[in-house]
Amino acid sequence: MPSSNPLPPKENALFKRILKCYEQKQYKNGLKFAKQILSNPKYAEHGETLAMKGLTLNCLGRKEEAYEYVRRGLRNDLKSHVCWHVYGLLQRSDKKYDEAIKCYRNALKWEKDNIQILRDLSLLQIQMRDLEGYRDTRYQLFMLRPTQRASWIGFGMAYHLLQDYDTALRILEEFRKTQLSSFDYEHSELLLYQNMVIQESGALKEALDHLTRYSDQICDKLSIKETFGKLNLELKRYKEAEVYYKELLMRNPENTTYYARLQEAQQLTTASEKLNMFSEFQELFPRALAPRRLPLTYAAGEQFRILVDKYLRQGLHKGVPPLFVDLRSLYKDPEKVEVIERLVLQYVDALQKVGKFSEEDSESSPKEPASALLWAYYYLAQHYDYLGNTEKALSYIDAAIEHTPTLIELFVTKGRIYKHGGDVMEAYKWLDEAQGLDTADRYINSKCAKYMLRANLIKEAEETCSKFTREGVSAMENLNEMQCMWFQTECALAYQRLEKWGDALKKCHEVDRHFSEIIEDQFDFHTYCMRKMTLRSYVGLLRLEDVLRAHPFYFKAARCAIEVYLRLHDKPLKDETAEQELNTENLAPAELKKLRNKQRKARRKAELERQQAAQAQEKREQHNKSRQQGDAEPDAPQQDELVPEKLARVEDPLEQAIRFLQPLQTLAARRIETHLMAFEIYSRKKKPLLMLQSIKRAHRLDPNNPKLHSYLIVYHGYLTRWQGSLDASVATVLKQEMEPIFRGRDPHHMNAEFLAAHSKSLEALFESARMMYHLDPSQQEAAIKLATTLDKSIEGVNLQNCTRVLQALKNGEFGSCPEQVADYKARCHVQFPYAQVFRPPSTSCQSSPTAESNHISDGKENCVSN
Amino acid sequence: MADDEANGDIGGDSDDVQREKSQKKIAKYDSGAADLEKVTDYAEEKEIFTADLSGAMTIIGDRRNKEAAEKMAKERELLKVSIKKEDVDLIMREMEISRTLAERTLREHHGNVVEALVSLTD
Repeated sequence: MPSSNPLPPKENALFKRILKCYEQKQYKNGLKFAKQILSNPKYAEHGETLAMKGLTLNCLGRKEEAYEYVRRGLRNDLKSHVCWHVYGLLQRSDKKYDEAIKCYRNALKWEKDNIQILRDLSLLQIQMRDLEGYRDTRYQLFMLRPTQRASWIGFGMAYHLLQDYDTALRILEEFRKTQLSSFDYEHSELLLYQNMVIQESGALKEALDHLTRYSDQICDKLSIKETFGKLNLELKRYKEAEVYYKELLMRNPENTTYYARLQEAQQLTTASEKLNMFSEFQELFPRALAPRRLPLTYAAGEQFRILVDKYLRQGLHKGVPPLFVDLRSLYKDPEKVEVIERLVLQYVDALQKVGKFSEEDSESSPKEPASALLWAYYYLAQHYDYLGNTEKALSYIDAAIEHTPTLIELFVTKGRIYKHGGDVMEAYKWLDEAQGLDTADRYINSKCAKYMLRANLIKEAEETCSKFTREGVSAMENLNEMQCMWFQTECALAYQRLEKWGDALKKCHEVDRHFSEIIEDQFDFHTYCMRKMTLRSYVGLLRLEDVLRAHPFYFKAARCAIEVYLRLHDKPLKDETAEQELNTENLAPAELKKLRNKQRKARRKAELERQQAAQAQEKREQHNKSRQQGDAEPDAPQQDELVPEKLARVEDPLEQAIRFLQPLQTLAARRIETHLMAFEIYSRKKKPLLMLQSIKRAHRLDPNNPKLHSYLIVYHGYLTRWQGSLDASVATVLKQEMEPIFRGRDPHHMNAEFLAAHSKSLEALFESARMMYHLDPSQQEAAIKLATTLDKSIEGVNLQNCTRVLQALKNGEFGSCPEQVADYKARCHVQFPYAQVFRPPSTSCQSSPTAESNHISDGKENCVSN
Repeated sequence: MADDEANGDIGGDSDDVQREKSQKKIAKYDSGAADLEKVTDYAEEKEIFTADLSGAMTIIGDRRNKEAAEKMAKERELLKVSIKKEDVDLIMREMEISRTLAERTLREHHGNVVEALVSLTD
């Protein structure tokens, strides 16, 4: 090794032991050996030892010292690959991947064939998805160590990931030949991985042959059968596929996809054929649920009535709580809804009269248990809630509660009914009640917290959650540490409604950081999975991480952040001190004094808060330290603290919004909302081509989207205004690309056409009405009339859309119209009597009196008794 | 080689036992942490033995050379396309993308800025 300062044999042996200790995570011993070398004055500045000492300290969580030692070591020995390698590892542990790669490259300059450095480099390359770089590094490793198993696997996988199946398969096949055909799990996984690559290359026939040849060496019997079934089906070898799916159903008669595949294999097309198939399996597996539930999807008319009758009776008899949820997917078909409604109403009637599901049931048949009526009430409550009939839903849930006042599900459902009815306060109260009935149930606890957040009761929600979070840490912090994203997102939305922009952003950023952390967490698995040969899962993991931010949790948080940033761009928060300065100029002395007093008080309060915050910070650090002692691995690097005040006063809100938007543009490109948000951002940035991009993408997804329609008209306006100032080539692009969408129509014409084509949808009516006013304010009256219709024949007259209309009226999107606002609110109040938004101001903070009086006291008692 | 693996596992297990004893409380909150810890354990690479690797290695070597040549040719082809600096600047400014990407797109469209922009707005 070309170190500029070689150690004599004794010290060199010690140095080797430091390396060994580092590998085996015996950090304390490593430090001891380092001390032995460094305490000799001759080697006190030995670069590689200093660097290794630093690296070891880093593993013990002493980050600052670590950097100090590693840097000092490197300065003392700039030509040592060890020092560079160590510096790279340190940077890597701090997630500075680009820097780390540079360090590794420097290290390789001094020792180009060092296996360990190449291996570490390859890990970073796959982590960063530099697939070509990864392939090249794996090639080097392969040439250097062709006898190592990992060299082959890694090299083959590099080609697989680059979709060069041919080469990948050739490498894997050569490798397979070197393996003795053993019957261990790792070999089996290798074969299945090989099969996966063959399938992905599109050679289904070869995949089938491969699987047939090696099936006796594969331990994962389920995977074999499923793959056989799938391949045979795709090769249209239906007879063979049928056999495999039947065998699979024998293993697991509840797997719904097996039934679907079996239908395909048997080439069943008509409903009656499918129903026959299911009845065969019903006989085979009388206790299985799937063969009884699935026919309901295919059956129709009288046959459906008979089947669902039987299914409902069984469910209600046994008391299956999720019966409604189980059947909800049938509600797409209004005919089926009607049949179910009639049946359950009949049951209730008969159960009340004779204790049986039907009065015609023979005299001798036994009576149903008393609970059957309860579950029937419960079903109907959910049924009517789903159909938006709050009144009836409430009456049935009340009947159920009267029947059995101790069933938690009933209170949860009652809360949900109020939530759907638009009364979040009342909803939360019922959830709180449910929570009081069983304080040891975390599910109910979480639900309750969620409802509190919907009612903007953030403190209360935190307190509720704290019953289950770690002691000694604030619930908010613990929930962040546990990556409890639903809580954080709901919290962000609550802050957004409360117009606490900074706090909302903090929560959104926290969620975003969880996603980054999850992506970083995959790092260790690059080595682990190859070692354990779990290659199929590993490739699955890589693919999942690539699209991680496609997750709905990210979408929700990102949307909230974007909305808040847009708001902050439109109406930036004023600088507090500057605002006060301005005000003092024209104040009377007495008032000034008052103001000064007030300011002093505020300052004192702020000081107190700062102190508290500092204390909390200290506590946090202690907590982190104690954790670090617990596990050997150092905590993730301390990120900048998220301060709500700073977040809300950020200088470039639009750039921040784009940061949240970009993952959505690649990963949630199929959601039209993504492109609509992009339009909002880029129109504020006045970027005609990026606006064009969002319009084109949205238009491709759904040309009739009402919101898109409005944007088209707005965009038309922008383009007309900008006409003279655009670059010639930009103008050409715009003209050429918008022509198929505008089709030469002017905005008035476009709006009229859209209105005529979509006059039966409230969303469409609303958007074209908005545009009508936007294009010609003299049309105010007509526009408002269009938007505020509550006509029963119009689609989408629901709470959400009507709330949006009300907001628009209030925001002045239709100009000033106080009378129409009041009138619309009153009419909506009749339509949606439970919704808070439409309630006249005098009663808005107080919910319906009957519900109020009979449960608050109960709730308290429950809390005390628990 | 299989022995190495087995030893590694045994070592890991006895560590776990100790940890469990001393820090039951922590274990309660961080269940699964011990398993995760094992993910980063050090293990020797497994070796394989085979009579002849040279055949496989030459196939792969040829393949790589050909690949590199093809890639070079394509890059050279792209570099031949002459592009205007102001077009690149316009693309960067309007589409808010990096210079590398802007140049590449422009070259791929033979320096035609309108076509490049159309493809970028897709």
